[in-house]
Amino acid sequence: MAQRHDTTEIRITAGAVTDVMRTLHDDPDFRFRLLADICGVDTGTTMQVVYHVWSDATPDWLRVIVVDLPRNDPRLPSITFLWKGAEWGEREAYDMFGIIFEGNRDLRRIYMPPDYVSFPLRKDFLLPDDASRSPGMGIRHMEQAASPVGAPVRKARTD
Amino acid sequence: MSALSRPWNRLTLAGKIVLPLLALFAVLTLALLVGVALGPIPYVVDLAYDTVAANLGIVRFVGAVTAILLLTIPTAFIIIYLEMKVIALMNLRLGPNRVGPWGTLQSAFHGFKVLGKEDFTPTGADVPVFTLAPAVVYLASVMAFLVLPFAPGLVGADMNIGLLYFFAVGSLGVVGLMMAGWSSFNKYSLLGGLRAAAQIVSYEIPLTLSIVGVVLLTGTLSLNGIVLEQSGSFLDWFIFRQPLGFLIFFIAAAAEGSRTPFDLTEADSEIVAGFATEYSGMRFGFFFFAEYVNVFLLSALTVVLFLGGWNAPFDLGGILAQIGLSVDPSLAPGQLGIGLLLGIAIVPPVVILALALPIWAFRSDVAFWKALVIGFLLFNVLAMGALMLWATASFEQVEGLIWFFAKTYVFVVVFVWMRGTLPRVRVDQLMGFAWKWLLPAALVNIFITAAAIVVVKQIQG
Amino acid sequence: MTTAPKTQVRSLDDPLLMVDTPATIYDAVPPYPPQTEREAEFYALRGGEMLINLGPQHPSTHGVLRVVLKIDGERVVDLDPVLGYLHRGVEKICENSDWHMVVSHCDPLEYIASMFSELVPVMAAEKLLDVKVPRRADYIRVLACELNRISSHALFIGWLALDLGGLTPILYGFIERDEIVEMLAALTGQKLLFNYMRIGGVNGDLNHEFLSRLGDWMSHAAARIEDSQTLINENEIFVKRTRGLGVIDRETALRMCLSGPPLRATGIPYDVRRAHPYSVYPELEFEIPTREEGDSYARYLLHLDEIKQSIHIIDQVLHKMPDGPIAAKLPRLLRPRPGRAFAAIESPRGQYAVYAMSDGSDQPFRLRIHDPSYFNLQTVGLLTPGHLVADTMAIMASLDPIMGGVDK
Repeated sequence: MAQRHDTTEIRITAGAVTDVMRTLHDDPDFRFRLLADICGVDTGTTMQVVYHVWSDATPDWLRVIVVDLPRNDPRLPSITFLWKGAEWGEREAYDMFGIIFEGNRDLRRIYMPPDYVSFPLRKDFLLPDDASRSPGMGIRHMEQAASPVGAPVRKARTD
Repeated sequence: MSALSRPWNRLTLAGKIVLPLLALFAVLTLALLVGVALGPIPYVVDLAYDTVAANLGIVRFVGAVTAILLLTIPTAFIIIYLEMKVIALMNLRLGPNRVGPWGTLQSAFHGFKVLGKEDFTPTGADVPVFTLAPAVVYLASVMAFLVLPFAPGLVGADMNIGLLYFFAVGSLGVVGLMMAGWSSFNKYSLLGGLRAAAQIVSYEIPLTLSIVGVVLLTGTLSLNGIVLEQSGSFLDWFIFRQPLGFLIFFIAAAAEGSRTPFDLTEADSEIVAGFATEYSGMRFGFFFFAEYVNVFLLSALTVVLFLGGWNAPFDLGGILAQIGLSVDPSLAPGQLGIGLLLGIAIVPPVVILALALPIWAFRSDVAFWKALVIGFLLFNVLAMGALMLWATASFEQVEGLIWFFAKTYVFVVVFVWMRGTLPRVRVDQLMGFAWKWLLPAALVNIFITAAAIVVVKQIQG
Repeated sequence: MTTAPKTQVRSLDDPLLMVDTPATIYDAVPPYPPQTEREAEFYALRGGEMLINLGPQHPSTHGVLRVVLKIDGERVVDLDPVLGYLHRGVEKICENSDWHMVVSHCDPLEYIASMFSELVPVMAAEKLLDVKVPRRADYIRVLACELNRISSHALFIGWLALDLGGLTPILYGFIERDEIVEMLAALTGQKLLFNYMRIGGVNGDLNHEFLSRLGDWMSHAAARIEDSQTLINENEIFVKRTRGLGVIDRETALRMCLSGPPLRATGIPYDVRRAHPYSVYPELEFEIPTREEGDSYARYLLHLDEIKQSIHIIDQVLHKMPDGPIAAKLPRLLRPRPGRAFAAIESPRGQYAVYAMSDGSDQPFRLRIHDPSYFNLQTVGLLTPGHLVADTMAIMASLDPIMGGVDK
């Protein structure tokens, strides 16, 4: 727990998500009825999911960080059973990081096209890699289209 | 060796049009002169005169139809301009004010623009139906002009089932809309076409029922006859005897013409352009024109049925005669003698100078020749005004025409006003309104009118 | 120079790039099998149902939003918004930029009310840097934000009426917006994306032209707004189309993570300015308008009430404005302490929040932007089924989404 600048922070593991969030929501002393934000974080070594909730019992925010999600298979239970509005927040976390929320009925990509393969906000996402896999790789730009083949062109990394 | 140096290769586009026309004109003049000199032309002219005299009815009809077709285009242009300008002023903005004085040429240029757009047929569309739909919609509106009485004696065809013909032909527009919606191979168009068909068909019924009262009062379906019944005084107009009918008719007419608040067929915040989504260029122009011609048509019908058509609310000719402005048309020009010649030679320059000199004197940025031009234009305006006054006082056709158009344009402006002010009604609310409120109201109107007629007849013995 | 490139260069006429595009790509159904339960349920059509695409190019989807409607005749059975047409990767861009540059990147997120979208990351950075913002800067921030709130609400009212077919109210809304935007242009130099907030304060002080324009505007603002609303407030057609439309009750509103005017229209008096006060709002007197019905008409009236409250706030701010510096002095290269900060404000659309993580370097480690339009838009899928196609627009317009924020 850390209290700084009007936010209290707690860290939990993936297994505790359902119970902790349900307690925070339903318990009459807590009454954390408002979900302010749900997002994913890539710390470089692990993944995290961060919830911010608010209760009318206190003017402070509560930050719930689900820590230590493995990078190669980040999974945790979804909280759409408590807040239906978290569905799109979880879709975004899946789209940007690849975090799978079990129990979300609609876990598909929301910003990127459905056949996109990378997860953009990960720290190991390299745009040139991704661009090199796209069908547009190697396309000569219009200003070079009239020059002979063999003239220097812009090229994408493929190695 | 380039051929760019020949004079006819250096013509601009305007030159390429004008030069062949000039050549054609020269050839035709020559042919005319030769023809008149050698004799065949007078013979042909006599033959034509005899044919026309023998078939006057058909010639008159053809002339009327041509006049109507030619009338619809400037009418549409004027109404489009009115709409743009009036709605702009209601929106607290200026509207078109660059093209022509006060933006009056704007709609003509819209017409040219629409002609210049790419005309394509979408893939998968049913081409013959797609192509014919705008024509059907346009014709449905235009054909109804045939029975409108513009002035005493100025009716296209004075049928004794004129009103029935009017509504029959107007309903053809629904067929056109359905054709457009279905053949476009587009879900939006389909939705739009179905909505349009449903709306127009449901509002046809209150529309026709609301005027049954008028028909009961006059006993004739002929529009000319209905207008003649309302001659006499201002209080003879049917709006005073059929106020409910007028109201129902006006509302149903707004729905017929797809005008706001009933314009969900072209609701561009919902289904883009409705049935006309896939149309571009002149085809779309046809739909557009048809709508504005329809607005004019419905306003004209309101005026004819309820506001006395070409009857004047007050006797303008009489007032003009009282203040001494009407000139006796039987005055022979020869009686004026030399005075006529002097008048024609002296009056125009004197009036032009009289109008130009104050402008030149009081505005320092106007050169003298510009002031003369302005004076000339003002003189033209005055002369036309005087001519119009004389024509109004002496020919009842002119007077009737002026009143007809004035009243019709009042209603056109009311339609435009409604468009600028009101939001749109939803489709189920629209249909509910037609079937649950307008239709019973129209039936009640008929019942009351019929009862009143019987009662009045009994009272009068 | 004729060095042969290592990669094979394809020209634009390469046959490999010629993809056969059948007409079915214009269908609303995606060309791959459904990936989730909801997708399967949505794209399974029963008899008589039709899938129709609303957008992405559409006159009234408030930006580039594609909504797939499943309709049965005129009635909407279900709807599926498809986002991403305006996705610009702002969060990733911010991770690669300086803390100061974040302001320009976050500007266009809520482009109608960009003071708010600039203010939040700045507030998060100030929390991480423990910067004390001078009082005058705080007051100027509140002034600018409330002006922007009024102009955004004026535009909302116009859009709602425009989506329902009235051509005139949007131009009345633009009169207000025009004056306010000219005012803010005198203050910041920009009319739409102001780039005004700085970490530690604001960019420029109030100048004479701004104050004179503000004075002129304030003298007739409230009366003119009241006046221009008489056109649609009691209009039978407008009321019939919005009353009872898209009713949300309190429990659903909280479960759907709604915020802002749609939440307050259901009766829950949650306003970040009072629930979690920031800046100088604790010193200002204003009420939180709420309405009970939760339908589109209530949301519309609530926006009008909020405009009045904002004018009241601006009045107080002008009276209480202290003297002093307008920005704290900060180094050009900022290295905040490693840590996390969450800052939230009340934007015209709802609760706009930023969760900033810093690792001690001069670039943000993670800048998560929580935009209210994104979460509010989910409610459209809940409210529209059962209504007509025409009501989709009314409901969407009444929730006031801005696609810049939805798509980030």
